[in-house]
Amino acid sequence: MLLRLAWRNVWRNRLRSSIMVAAMVFGLLGAVLMSGFVIAMTNSMIENAIKYQTSHLQLHNPKFIVGEELAAWLPEADGLATQIRQQPGVAAVTVRQLVDGMLASAASTRGVRINGIDLEQEVAVTALAESLAEGGLLPADGRNPIMVSRRNAERLNLRIGSKVVLTFTDAGGEVTGAAFRVCGFFKTPLSGFDDANVYVRRSDLAGLTGLDQAHELAVRLESDALSDQVKTALVALVGAQATVRDWGEVQPILAAMTASVDQTNSILAAVFMAALGFGIVNIMLMSVFERTREFGVLMATGMTKAKVLTLIIIEALFLGGSGGLLGMAVSWLVLALLGRVGLPFGAMAEGLGVYGVDTVLYPEVPGSYYLSMFALVLVTSLLAAFYPARQILKKSPVEALTERH
Amino acid sequence: MSIVVDQLTRIYNPDTDFPITAVNNVSLEVKPGEFVAVMGPSGSGKTTLLNMLGGIDRPSSGTVRIDDSDITALGDKELISFRRDNIGFIFQDFSLLPVLTAKENVEFVMQLQGRSHVECATRSLQLLNDVGLGDRLNCVPGKLSGGQQQRVAVARALAPKPKFVLADEPTANLDAVTTRDLLDIMQQLNEKEGVTFIFSTHDPRVIERARRVIVFEDGIIKEDRVQ
Ligand SMILES: Nc1ncnc2c1ncn2[C@@H]1O[C@H](COP(=O)(O)OP(=O)(O)OP(=O)(O)O)[C@@H](O)[C@H]1O
Ligand SMILES: [Mg+2]
Repeated sequence: MLLRLAWRNVWRNRLRSSIMVAAMVFGLLGAVLMSGFVIAMTNSMIENAIKYQTSHLQLHNPKFIVGEELAAWLPEADGLATQIRQQPGVAAVTVRQLVDGMLASAASTRGVRINGIDLEQEVAVTALAESLAEGGLLPADGRNPIMVSRRNAERLNLRIGSKVVLTFTDAGGEVTGAAFRVCGFFKTPLSGFDDANVYVRRSDLAGLTGLDQAHELAVRLESDALSDQVKTALVALVGAQATVRDWGEVQPILAAMTASVDQTNSILAAVFMAALGFGIVNIMLMSVFERTREFGVLMATGMTKAKVLTLIIIEALFLGGSGGLLGMAVSWLVLALLGRVGLPFGAMAEGLGVYGVDTVLYPEVPGSYYLSMFALVLVTSLLAAFYPARQILKKSPVEALTERH
Repeated sequence: MSIVVDQLTRIYNPDTDFPITAVNNVSLEVKPGEFVAVMGPSGSGKTTLLNMLGGIDRPSSGTVRIDDSDITALGDKELISFRRDNIGFIFQDFSLLPVLTAKENVEFVMQLQGRSHVECATRSLQLLNDVGLGDRLNCVPGKLSGGQQQRVAVARALAPKPKFVLADEPTANLDAVTTRDLLDIMQQLNEKEGVTFIFSTHDPRVIERARRVIVFEDGIIKEDRVQ
């Protein structure tokens, strides 16, 4: 009967309760959408970083990480790669020689990292093939082909077939340079990465640097979840001769940004809950005050203060729960729709390209997010019931009975 | 069951410059099954007296003994369960819960007592039949006339099988015919259930029907007659 009484009391003032529920629906939708975007954005950043840039794991000479010098090569890199390919969970490994240098055209110059790669290995690990925007990938024959990013091509005024000059320091410490011919443009969602990288054949680069060694192994795994497990296995395999890092260690800034997602979502939830709490306090205060006399009658006829408190709490829970459930349902529907259609990010995507955010986002939140939001809604409603309840409970039955509105 | 009131006094605002002695050293006894009217002009202290008899207000001094237990000495919690099990209230403005049907209103107090659903259902049905509302069980108060609402209130007051019923001006909002019907019903139930009724009133038609009339003035009993 208490439940029935509470439920009917909530809908006694239908307009008022409906407005509250509507406010909750929109508030929740806002919070869920924001969280969905933040999560989608971060996921997209991580995915893109892994896909185009860092792969799941990277191995380097420990000194390379500190100084990134040509001399800090990884001994036996190709043999190591073969060993790693046999590890469970490993999908593919690519071996790279890396040199920092200058990329020059007739028009301009840019500092870049020259990635000397085996095309076949590279496309099995990163999405280089997918990111081809124009022209072709590095051919197996022909003299000194090079792939540059579309961004650099625009800056340096390059076309397919244009000639560029790469300048860098060779293994003997001499500055050396060579002419390359542009065979293709690539474009990844990571504008910072695009600005800073060019691809040439590893054999061409080795010939020019005079170093027949490699600096970097990039490992793609069968799934993201295997990262920690395989990393541990690789650390055991390579010992002190190489440092094994996952994407988060390679890109600490990105890792820090994604780590703050939970925090961002908590703040969003807290702001929403605060608004909700005050809303419920307000509604319940109004509703309780206008029923003062009714509570007086209830107390006179033998309803204990505990029961009165329970009644008010249940009413608040019903009100909050209604808004919460409806809000969740609407949010879920909207997210399901946006998750299918996607939301074009347009102009903002350019700015976020530095962090590798896709131009179309598919907002999503995990199921547990709905559960915890709903639990929070209920807890907030519960807490919000106490202040209004106190206003009634501090009155004696006669005081409540004689109060007129 | 008897009510023994001994030197009961209620002073409002006792610590101010204008204390109001609403009930002044009143002693009286009500025997089981009585049908008593407390009459007197406005402000004479009728409501105050009834509130103290019902244990919803505490006297400044004096005692109210109901069947040898002094309710003025009970703690808040004990007083609530005492009221729930022993005293029925009828209010001038009916004061039914607007969201509950007639039947639910009558059952609610019984459920607070922890009675079984079956018992609540049978008793509420029987009482609503007694007050002539057997065909209005599932109406909410808003769909009932004032007289019908007050009859539901009478059924509600009697539902928990109280020892006595307190009614503060129960007919003040009712017209003559409805008043007569209500009094008939109260009188029948007084006889049938053996419940003591104590009500306050200005209404001469009500006073006529009472077997005992206590005339109240300035917080003092002016006259106490049996008719
Ligand atoms: N809460 C209160 N605070 C202060 N004075 C009060 C309070 N309640 C009643 N009084 C005063 O006590 C006196 C008795 O009031 P009471 O309500 O008991 O009279 P009554 O006989 O019921 O009057 P009525 O016929 O108008 O209902 C009045 O003078 C009234 O003003
Ligand atoms: Mg009065």
